[in-house]
Amino acid sequence: MGKEECKTMLDALNKVTACYRHLVIALGSTSDSQNLREELKKTRKKAQELAVANRTKLTTLLKDKTISKDDRAEYERLWVLFSSSMELLEVDMKRSLEIGQDFPLKVPTRHLIQTGMTGSTNAVAARAMSVQNMKYEADSNIDTADLRDLQTEITQVSQMMEEMEMKVQVAPWAVVAKQEAGAELKSNMSVGNSSVGVISISCSLFLFRVFSCSFECKKKKHCNL
Amino acid sequence: MTIRNALRDHGQRYRPRMACLKKVEKVLLEMQDPCTGVKSQPQRLVITIIPHAITGEDIIAWLADRFQIDAQEARSFGSMLVALGYIYPLQDHKRLVIKPDASLYRFQTPYFWPTQQWPVEDTDYAIYLAKRNIRKKGILELHEQEQYNHLHKWMNHKWDFVVMQAKEQYRAAKERKKPDRVVFDCQERAYWVVHRPPPGTVSAMDYGLDRRTDPNTDEVTGESPHDLLVKYSATYSGHDPFLSKCLPSSPWLTDDTTYWTMNMSNVEIPTKMRVERWTFSFKELLSDPRGRDDFRLFLKKEFSGENLAFWEGCEDLKWGTAVTMREKAEQIYKTFLARGAPRWINIDGKTMEITVKGLKHPHRYVLDAAQTHIYMLMKKDSYGRYLKSPVFKETLKKAICPEEHKFKNRRPSLSPIIIRQQEQEQRAKMAANAPVDITQVMSKLSKQGKEMGPRHSK
Repeated sequence: MGKEECKTMLDALNKVTACYRHLVIALGSTSDSQNLREELKKTRKKAQELAVANRTKLTTLLKDKTISKDDRAEYERLWVLFSSSMELLEVDMKRSLEIGQDFPLKVPTRHLIQTGMTGSTNAVAARAMSVQNMKYEADSNIDTADLRDLQTEITQVSQMMEEMEMKVQVAPWAVVAKQEAGAELKSNMSVGNSSVGVISISCSLFLFRVFSCSFECKKKKHCNL
Repeated sequence: MTIRNALRDHGQRYRPRMACLKKVEKVLLEMQDPCTGVKSQPQRLVITIIPHAITGEDIIAWLADRFQIDAQEARSFGSMLVALGYIYPLQDHKRLVIKPDASLYRFQTPYFWPTQQWPVEDTDYAIYLAKRNIRKKGILELHEQEQYNHLHKWMNHKWDFVVMQAKEQYRAAKERKKPDRVVFDCQERAYWVVHRPPPGTVSAMDYGLDRRTDPNTDEVTGESPHDLLVKYSATYSGHDPFLSKCLPSSPWLTDDTTYWTMNMSNVEIPTKMRVERWTFSFKELLSDPRGRDDFRLFLKKEFSGENLAFWEGCEDLKWGTAVTMREKAEQIYKTFLARGAPRWINIDGKTMEITVKGLKHPHRYVLDAAQTHIYMLMKKDSYGRYLKSPVFKETLKKAICPEEHKFKNRRPSLSPIIIRQQEQEQRAKMAANAPVDITQVMSKLSKQGKEMGPRHSK
């Protein structure tokens, strides 16, 4: 069904966005390197593929006038998820361009900030690409060549987002979240502390007493943008 | 290439007073130099060793040496670096100061540096709080908890995204080795201590309100708003009745209204100061009714009065009542724009096309394009000629410069102090010649007080 596909694709985009952010944070610091730049490039490409795929899927679903109200509400919720991901991605791309230009690698003396991070980020990148190990194939001038590509990609993403805002008629503020406060504590984080997690859930729900968010999606107003 | 972070913020708000950031970044890069920079040492946590820790005293010594300043100033400078978020303390992370001892600090990664064009987003903060929630297993600090609840409420439509991202970012961070993970956590925490400080702390990031225009440059002329403001102040300071003498005198000071009568809109002979103001800019000339009259006279002599008439018609349309709009627009079209119109104005083909098209459904601003065109035409062409014309020169010659008020015939009213003294003297006199009946005395006094009353207000 369309919904399930959408959700899986959105999860993938979400994962890649998170990994991309993690990689961008390492730019300009002592863990910056040729490899990092290549990882950034590959993660970015993957993010863009996923973005385009998600967008086409969601727009086709939203354009369909014959879907039920609940379905439509669900797709709008997914749309908000998608556009928020894209916003994060866009900002990170712009920042990576800026920092990448400020801290070039192909100079005789590199001036990288001594942040204390020295390890490699290949595990993060591999997670983004969902591959076992990263294969590094780029030339030595990746930082300058890639930056030019990055500029064009940023313009593409910006244009895409402008189009999305103008053409897709979804009121993002009208979406009601399915997750309640403290929901991040619920699902199993890692194998080790699931039992600790169970105990802490009841505590946290007790702590966050104010909120009783409903789980059903309510009726939304449709505004014409 | 600089990418402006418009981020579809169509309000285009700018943050002021962040020009120091670029300078700080340069200093920070100098500090990194392995030979001439600040000496770093490894930090020993329980089992992990993390490099690149620097001591407070080393930072202060380096700053004092680099800028040739004394230790006290170096310490303030260092504290500023910490308060802005370029260096963060490893112990006592909530106090953003430099301690001149062996306390450890570390440099912040460029992504977390404060920047002019990337404002700190609440979405990011929400994700950070959610991650912290996971890490601390539901126990957040009081202010963090409050912020969390607040964000959950107003950012509710994005909350699913926040939770999803928080989980993914948490998992991604786990992919790194232990020392890097520790550093990353410290970095992120330090970033949010700077940008979302607990309530009651003073933040270096407090910059007041966002500005409507970029405080660094003026987009049109390339001058900064500071220069423009200086220019404006220099030009107008002589004309400001509060800052300079106002001829003949300020009516508020001398009770003499000559200044107002001399500067009325329909006065025959204007004052010299007024005429001087017309030379400052075309806008100044047009906004003064007497100036506009003079300009109209000049244009009549040049047989190009239709431009000004059209401009005035457009203003009338813009500011007039909605009821009259349609007929006003029609009138203007018939008089100025139609083919063979009696006062046809010369505007370019494209503008004419747009205007005529718009006039099919007239609204208040339908003539804006044409009006701007004519305005610029008058400004660039007629205005210059006007200032050199005999009409203007005549007006300038005839303009009067009134004499300064000599404060001669001024009749000030009685000072209230003197009135009070007189009252007291009278009461004393009454008491001295008092009749036996006290009520009579009181009524006499109160009557006198009432009589005095109206005289006070003159």
